[in-house]
Amino acid sequence: MTQNTNSSSHPTASLHEGLSPLEERVGRWRVFVGVGLALVTIVYAWAVVQAPVDSSQGIIQKILYVHPPLAYGAYLGFVITAIGGFLYLWRGREDFDRLAVSGAEVGVLFCTLMLITGPIWARGTWGRWWSWDPRLTVTLLLWFVYLAYLLLRSFAGPGPRTARFAAVYSMVGLVLIPLNYYVIEIFDNRSMHPDNLEKGSLGDGMGWPFLMGNLALGFAFVYLLLLRWDVEARRLFERRREAEQDVDQ
Amino acid sequence: MNIALAILWKDLITEWRARDRVIAMLLFSLLTAVIFYFALPDQRPETLRALTPGLLWTAYLFAAILGLNRSFALELENEALSGLALAPGGRGWIFLGKMAANFILLSLVQVLTALAFAIFYGIDFGSSIGELSLTIGLATLGICSVGTLLAAMAVRTRLREVLLPILLLPALVPILAGAVRATLSVMAGEELPFSAIQLLIVIDGIYLVVSFLGFDYILDE
Repeated sequence: MTQNTNSSSHPTASLHEGLSPLEERVGRWRVFVGVGLALVTIVYAWAVVQAPVDSSQGIIQKILYVHPPLAYGAYLGFVITAIGGFLYLWRGREDFDRLAVSGAEVGVLFCTLMLITGPIWARGTWGRWWSWDPRLTVTLLLWFVYLAYLLLRSFAGPGPRTARFAAVYSMVGLVLIPLNYYVIEIFDNRSMHPDNLEKGSLGDGMGWPFLMGNLALGFAFVYLLLLRWDVEARRLFERRREAEQDVDQ
Repeated sequence: MNIALAILWKDLITEWRARDRVIAMLLFSLLTAVIFYFALPDQRPETLRALTPGLLWTAYLFAAILGLNRSFALELENEALSGLALAPGGRGWIFLGKMAANFILLSLVQVLTALAFAIFYGIDFGSSIGELSLTIGLATLGICSVGTLLAAMAVRTRLREVLLPILLLPALVPILAGAVRATLSVMAGEELPFSAIQLLIVIDGIYLVVSFLGFDYILDE
């Protein structure tokens, strides 16, 4: 990465020390994604405003343009965490661990927003904030799992041991997703949650705002993931620099 | 395999000499049974019978968490955990030994707790003892496998006793769902529901494999 032997006198050179080639590019990617996010968000906002008001549900139906994309982001974040954890255990590369923690944090953010927007819609449509519906139950449990994941990381402090603990726990979290669905399939298969969109539940003129919602929140997800990843990588740099200063003194 | 047996033997002997963990777990689950009695809406026999499976399993889970928390506490002294990590052979076998010890101790507590529920709540477990034992055994295997893995992690963090239930309870929800469902059916005099037993077997298999493999990364020198 750098040919300098005396890296402490070249802060920009030592910034990249210990970072993987992948991470050196993260900052640049983030700029492109950020520009895309800004453009898409403008179109998205306009699309949501001009989308027709649903004849039976009223204005509350517009949560549809936010809620499902948040759900996709949440699950994507948790899958990225598990993949990052698995790759870390397999290859032992620290950048995969930094990717894993980024996925968990952005996933928890998306999942929290999903758990807030969902009940608002449910109150307006079902007449109550919560139902122990399969999808709601599984998502809530998953939210707890990844909060526990973040808590585990913070209680164990920085270091390779924490990374290993977290990676193993993310494997447990991953197997819990199908297991919980299995539990619900067997015991409690009464679902109130609307079906997926393949079944044509979107009215006229609602398709493309929904598409824009997915696009905008997809961009937001990638942007936040890269931002968080970059922050984690810079933290490593900060720790190294502090350690170097300690040695110099 | 020998390592697993050696660890199991060591844990059982230590517990036999001190007898602190089992007694703590047992007292705790008995107290839970008493507290539940006052938390119930009324004390009619049918209410007690309807709620017992859920209460019993809640008491079991709490007792399990209490016991699992102490499972590795002793190993922290004199860096015994590092010694274990250096033992020849796979670390998965260490996990199996620890898990088996937890399983035996928890099963003992469960039997005595069930007796207490039978006496306090006027429940007759005797007519379906075989089905009930199968259910409890399968569920406890799952609890102890993922519980031992997570206890080994939690014990080496700050606030260790606090962290274990937060890590463990989400993973135990599927087990609890299957175990309560099976216990409800058995206590109502129905046949053991195959779907619940199947679910418990699948969970046991998955948790055993994940914990056996994962333990390799949890122990370090």
